[in-house]
Amino acid sequence: MTYNEFRKSVLDTALALGCDAAETVFVEGDSFQVGVLSQEIDTYSVSRKFGMGLRVQVNGRDGYAYTEKLEDPESLCRRALDNARVIGTSDDHPMQGAQTYATVTAPENPVCDMSEREKIALALEAERRALSIDPRVERVSRDMLITGHTTIHISNTLGLDAHRENRYSYSYLSPIVREGDEVHDGMAFRTGRDILDTASLAEEAVQDGLSQLGAAPVHSGNYRVLFKNIAAVDFFEAFMPMFSADNAQKGLSPLAGREGENIASAAVTLCDDPLYPANPRAFDDEGTPSVSKTVVENGVFRTLLHNLKTAKKAGCASTSNADRPSAASPVGIAPSNFYMTSGEDDFETLKRKLGTGLIITEVSGLHAGVNAVTGDFSLLSKGFLVENSEIVRPVDQITIAGSFLTLLKEIETVGSDLKFTPPGSSMLGMPSILISGLMVAGK
Amino acid sequence: MITETSAQLVLEAALSSGGDFAELYMEDTVSNSLVMIDGAVDNATSARSTGAGVRVFSGVRSAYAYTADTSLDALIGAAKAAAAALSSDSRISVVPFRPADYAVSPRIPYATVDNATRIAKMHEAHLASKSYSDEISQVVVSLLDVDKSMFVCNTEGVWASDRRPRMRLAVQAVASKGGDSQTGYDSPGNARGFEGFDLIDPTACGKEASRQAVTMLHADECPAGVMPVVIDGGFGGVIFHEACGHSLEATSVSKGNSVFCGKLGTQIAAPCVSAVDDGTMEGEWGSIHIDDEGTPSRRNLLIENGILKSYLIDRLGGRRMGMAPTGSSRRQDYTYAPTSRMTNTFICEGKDDPEEMIRTMGDGIFAAYMGGGSVSPLTGEFNFAVREGYLVRDGKIVAPVRGATLIGRGADVLMKIDRVGPRMWMAQGMCGSLSGSIPTNVGQPRIRVSQITVGGKGGTLA
Repeated sequence: MTYNEFRKSVLDTALALGCDAAETVFVEGDSFQVGVLSQEIDTYSVSRKFGMGLRVQVNGRDGYAYTEKLEDPESLCRRALDNARVIGTSDDHPMQGAQTYATVTAPENPVCDMSEREKIALALEAERRALSIDPRVERVSRDMLITGHTTIHISNTLGLDAHRENRYSYSYLSPIVREGDEVHDGMAFRTGRDILDTASLAEEAVQDGLSQLGAAPVHSGNYRVLFKNIAAVDFFEAFMPMFSADNAQKGLSPLAGREGENIASAAVTLCDDPLYPANPRAFDDEGTPSVSKTVVENGVFRTLLHNLKTAKKAGCASTSNADRPSAASPVGIAPSNFYMTSGEDDFETLKRKLGTGLIITEVSGLHAGVNAVTGDFSLLSKGFLVENSEIVRPVDQITIAGSFLTLLKEIETVGSDLKFTPPGSSMLGMPSILISGLMVAGK
Repeated sequence: MITETSAQLVLEAALSSGGDFAELYMEDTVSNSLVMIDGAVDNATSARSTGAGVRVFSGVRSAYAYTADTSLDALIGAAKAAAAALSSDSRISVVPFRPADYAVSPRIPYATVDNATRIAKMHEAHLASKSYSDEISQVVVSLLDVDKSMFVCNTEGVWASDRRPRMRLAVQAVASKGGDSQTGYDSPGNARGFEGFDLIDPTACGKEASRQAVTMLHADECPAGVMPVVIDGGFGGVIFHEACGHSLEATSVSKGNSVFCGKLGTQIAAPCVSAVDDGTMEGEWGSIHIDDEGTPSRRNLLIENGILKSYLIDRLGGRRMGMAPTGSSRRQDYTYAPTSRMTNTFICEGKDDPEEMIRTMGDGIFAAYMGGGSVSPLTGEFNFAVREGYLVRDGKIVAPVRGATLIGRGADVLMKIDRVGPRMWMAQGMCGSLSGSIPTNVGQPRIRVSQITVGGKGGTLA
């Protein structure tokens, strides 16, 4: 069966079996990945993947089934129907009907248009450059270039017919630097057009490694902390579940019911903008047209992120944050392009304002050391010790610990250096931020 | 999943540019997932995932192509795409296949179990969790079952199939008082059919999650600093998994990216430490009959009395290292090329008195229940979370503490283990690495580490 024959048959069968409504999500994609080591292709991977998720509704309850074999529509429908019948929650989940969408234009992605040979040449060039920057660069442990293309088609028995495409590309470089017995790995990544500038990628990755030479813990205690943008963005990403209305309605977020309250310092404004030019999309994963909104405005909490189900329960409109991580996943909630608006100060100015304290450049173990239900965190970290606004030495083998909601209130200054994670279904952006105090464990 | 003639065509296409080894992997996986919030089923999903991957080696270079389309044309297309990335003058031919079926049928296949039966088990866990205390404000119960049928054949004559059922019940309990909340978690699982519930007590699971949450609700913040730590058995074994296990995988070792490179036969841990990775343990969460390259699983002695005895090696890593595979090659699914991974990994039983090790530790932390962690194999720097900890003063447990993280370097911390208790037990986890997320067991007896950095926000330990 072709996809369209299968899709039509699935939707017809679902209705014939007594479903009130049915919706299919078809995701199809191809990807390319190359890894280079010692100027040879070390790993190489190409793929073609597709799958269809079916959502049926019976008495307002959703049931899901997914398949990668486009055959036997009836058994797919029966599995979804079985699943719908056991749902015990009484919350209605409206299904989106026909919509019109804004036209969005994705940024140019020249690397996606390259031949495999050209992409491989870029990866080889990045390694060569890294090896030539400094004699302390021993070798490169990872040098990857990845491109891909995904199409998503959502259609349902209420007339929704929504189609979007996404092309992505990123590169990643990790050189190993050695001085005597001391070894560190540096890291840098680039996305989209910036991949072409392998010199800047190599320079950043090598400097990241070299800057760690001589690292040691600091004494345990309370420190003023300047989170560099790349560490701040990883850190904030781990707390995104807090902003989900689904988690809030289930008692799994401390932000439940706190709209209108001051939850952060006045320096903090957080936005969620699916139309953000670097990674725009016209609709979310249940077909709701994209809405830009302010989540926290000058410290005041304005809104949770909603899909159609949580919006109905809360008596508001969906914020277009419905998310299905894959076509096999149920409809949940995730940020789109979520970022803190930048302030005025560049990193040097922030360092001056820090005075004496720590710059944090890397946090590790986010899946374990962060509890998004309570907001507690305790994380292995790296960075620099700063005294009188001057970097004294690199720091490693420390942890920083605190509570996310307390930290939001202790943000003194927000930097001008907004930096984003690689684009995907979500993209997180943070400038560097100065925090008045955090508990640090060291020696 | 495929005939010998078709498989031969695919492998020949994979060798068409001069590769010296080719492999075809196929799978058909059916899974069911239920999530219950506050006693009512909130989500129910079923999925069937089917696909194939073709891998080609030329020396130590490798290429991989995968596809969800398992028609012969698509498989040959994938084989040619992988072949195109490698070219050499090598010409080998496909060795006749030696068919071997390792699949064991579960006594109660998940496909024969209806949702109502699953939900009854979940409800039992919910009730036990919810009724544990008035302070339990929310309970999330999930049940996942996965039945994977896999097949692998290669140009060296391997033709092997396996069936891997696995099932896991998980309870997350939230305890709240005033504006404060804490969570507790328990998630037993095994690699059996639905009869695996003979070994999983939903009531005990629900109670355990709530006990942790309530205990932590009444806990102070953990102090920060360097101190002795006693780590209990079961999920405590995550310390070995992170501090050592990942750094013994050929993925890191074969490229010189591990602190344990070139250390075979040398002392890397205290003499009281022996450790094993054993994928053959019947029905255990991390067990496999064969690995994803068709090599039978086995018990690998990693460390004996502190001396490094073995790495965990896949075919490609083995080529780089000049060593034989150890039955350790695994992957999440066909969208990943396999690489060396752990199965059931644990520190072996020792001889030390579990009470004495706390009595004589002075001031420090007793970590009763661990959370997840991560490691950089290059430097050995690891971290992991303490889900349930206790402050020890002068050898006596005085109060629960929350929010602790343990960090260190694997090579240091293994040498600082100074006690190993007499009873080992394991717990279930999902391990993420280059070839995706796979089920693994971690385990150990109660152990003591003489000095380790403890992160927390409760000031310094005075």
